[in-house]
Amino acid sequence: MTVEHVTAPLLRVQNLGLRHVSGSATTPILSDVSFELGRGEILGIIGESGAGKSTVGNAILGLLSPEFQQTSGTIEFNGKAIDGMTADERQTLRGRRISAIFQDHTASLDPLMSVGAQVEETCLTLDSSLSKREARARAIDLLARVGIPEPERRYRNYPHQFSGGQRQRVVIAIALAGSPDIIIADEPTSALDATVQKQVLELLKILVDETGVSIILVTHDMGVISEITNRVLVMRKGQVVEADRTATILDQPRHDYTKKLLAAVPRLRIPTRTVKAEDDGGQAGSSAIDGDQNPLLVAEGLSKQFAPQGFAWGIGRGKPRFGLRDVGIRLPRGSITGIVGESGSGKTTFGRILAGLDTAPTGRITIGEHAFNVSRSGRRSGLLGRVQMIFQDPSVSLNPRMTIGETLDESIRFGGRTGSSKEPADLAAMMDRLGLPRSLLARHPHQLSGGQKQRVCIARALLARPEIIVADEPTSALDVSVQAEIVGLLKDTIAERAMTMVFISHDLAIVQAMCSSVFIFKDGRIEDFGPTEFIFSRSDNPYTRALINARPQRFTC
Amino acid sequence: MKAQIVSALKRRRHGPVLTASKLLLASYILVAIAAPLIAPQNPYDPLQIYGWEASSPPGTRGSGGYLYLLGTDGLGRDIVSTILYGLRISLVVSIVSSALAALIGLTAGVSAAYFGKWVDIAIMRLVDLQLSLPTILIALIAIVTLGPGIDRIILALIIAQWATYARIARGVALSEANKPYMDAARLMRLPTSRIIFRHLLPNSIAPAVTLIPIEVGHAVALEATLSFLGLGVPIDKPSLGSAVANGFQYLLTGQYWISLFPGLALFGLIASINLVGEDVRRSLDPRNHSL
Repeated sequence: MTVEHVTAPLLRVQNLGLRHVSGSATTPILSDVSFELGRGEILGIIGESGAGKSTVGNAILGLLSPEFQQTSGTIEFNGKAIDGMTADERQTLRGRRISAIFQDHTASLDPLMSVGAQVEETCLTLDSSLSKREARARAIDLLARVGIPEPERRYRNYPHQFSGGQRQRVVIAIALAGSPDIIIADEPTSALDATVQKQVLELLKILVDETGVSIILVTHDMGVISEITNRVLVMRKGQVVEADRTATILDQPRHDYTKKLLAAVPRLRIPTRTVKAEDDGGQAGSSAIDGDQNPLLVAEGLSKQFAPQGFAWGIGRGKPRFGLRDVGIRLPRGSITGIVGESGSGKTTFGRILAGLDTAPTGRITIGEHAFNVSRSGRRSGLLGRVQMIFQDPSVSLNPRMTIGETLDESIRFGGRTGSSKEPADLAAMMDRLGLPRSLLARHPHQLSGGQKQRVCIARALLARPEIIVADEPTSALDVSVQAEIVGLLKDTIAERAMTMVFISHDLAIVQAMCSSVFIFKDGRIEDFGPTEFIFSRSDNPYTRALINARPQRFTC
Repeated sequence: MKAQIVSALKRRRHGPVLTASKLLLASYILVAIAAPLIAPQNPYDPLQIYGWEASSPPGTRGSGGYLYLLGTDGLGRDIVSTILYGLRISLVVSIVSSALAALIGLTAGVSAAYFGKWVDIAIMRLVDLQLSLPTILIALIAIVTLGPGIDRIILALIIAQWATYARIARGVALSEANKPYMDAARLMRLPTSRIIFRHLLPNSIAPAVTLIPIEVGHAVALEATLSFLGLGVPIDKPSLGSAVANGFQYLLTGQYWISLFPGLALFGLIASINLVGEDVRRSLDPRNHSL
């Protein structure tokens, strides 16, 4: 599969150094980056945010803003240096010889132009000899090639009529329009659900085999690297710390940082299928109730619809979409329950209803002896405050105008009025437990790292002494190496306090590591549920199996 | 916020016009503060005014020993002194009214966004109604209803100006109110006033605050217009606008100085406030620099 480059490589980057100049401050961004890319090769560049991996891609594309200055090195394409070229010369390369796919498929497409016209426009720009009809035929061919069903019909559709995965396929079609030699794909699947991510990666691989294009795949995800790349560049703080064949990197990482990255990837354990035990719980159904005799929280029959936006008086309004359909759940006291699903499955809505932040027209929540009317606002029904939440993105979960000390103090003073615990919250002990230095108390959120911010969010939730904590994708916005720490910390602190937690995630491996039981959501319904062990080893639900199989094989054992 | 303003003021943009307007505005403020000390006459004190010296041309030496540098008006008041004292009124009225209008408008807009439902409808329809009419008309209606007086004119200007702040603040607050830190604040069951004033307001006002310097310029012009129409400040305490109005009837008889000099002073004031205000707005605007 790996193409050995006997002749000169397609792309050669040598000792590339870049710095960022703003005012009088200069920051080194890249130093001494060297690599080669052969024809038909998929090269992965992996690293955490700020490692400079996207900058490498943009430098090759010639898309760096003027504040970036090249300090050393060369970029050679087909044996010719391209880093010294004028903007016009770079422009003739872009699209025709080197093209790009970006992460955000929504922002990559013009919402007011049909996708066919966008592909066609690119074909015409790149090859002016084409007639309108030829360009159209080419565009349809490209759409077919990237796996858009019925390309003639879908040609006239607009981006919002496609799913996320299909939109990214269209973006790939546009990138292919000029028959480029190299495609630079910057986090092409990071915004996609796991099952879709796998399909898009497979498509990229097929395209490489069919057209001989080379791909530079920039990603933070070891799973993506392991799926399709031939070689990997591991980057950290603007430097290449290790570069080798993918198999070698995965099996015998030499650099400590690579080892750390690999160790941080959550691994899914799939126990060998034993003889199917007698029905020990777990079956698909709309309402799922555990066998626990004394649950802390019982939610029953929660349903919620979202009325789509339209013009006044319902003109142009589509069918209402179900957010939740008759969802029920039981949380045993002192347990961690996982909720897994892809985007739009209703898992976040469910978490917000549990916390009293959203209402549902039907259904009931009981905590202990107390029943709450979920159709009334959380403040009215008294549900608000019984449950605390940890949110996905810590950078927007803390008030930017309050210091960390003020935020935590607020939690101690105002939270806990409805909690079960009577003992006063101990800020100092909590900071120590979560590994937060006291000096942070006087800082504002923007002065903290992502991991520190999420620890503060955990501290805020715990200091309010709730009965239940809902953690909604608490690690998705964090770097891989930090994710493992946060997951471990969360699991330990919850266990120490014998608290009850709902852990919402799209990542099966993290859920497996955290939770004693799992609910799998799909389209607002509970698709499958049961003890974690059962779900991962013996569940026969096809959707559950598809989710498990979408995981990179390399990281399941 | 404070640090932001300080750093915004430090980032000075150079340019002769801007530098000149900064100097001009600074001297306006300085002479307005020092008016009682430097004005040759107190135009509000009838005992210092000599009626028989009315409408003296610039450069006349009066019987009180004053040199009427810019002449006197129809009542015999020294134009220089009228301008200096008028400046005080114009500046105080416009700054106080803009600050209060901002405070009220921001609170109203943020409250509309937070409470939603009928509070939102009530506040925002009032805003729509106001913004659909010319500002000067609103101010006119208000001042006619309220009657004359400096406090009334401040009130009238607040009524005329709060709506702009409310609309901008509501838009920002609507998007801020959906951020997770606001959810976290709700989960703490914080008192509503604390959620609004500690969490929502401080994070929603930045775009609207950048309007204040510009709105001060508008307020000066509005006040001058009202006073020119004879509806603003009392006749015995002229602001710049009423000083211009006082000389209006004499223009055709060639006694140009009564209107012209206060008018020039007003022109310089509004121009310098607008130029400096635009500069301050640009440096405060978060879109022009990352924090």
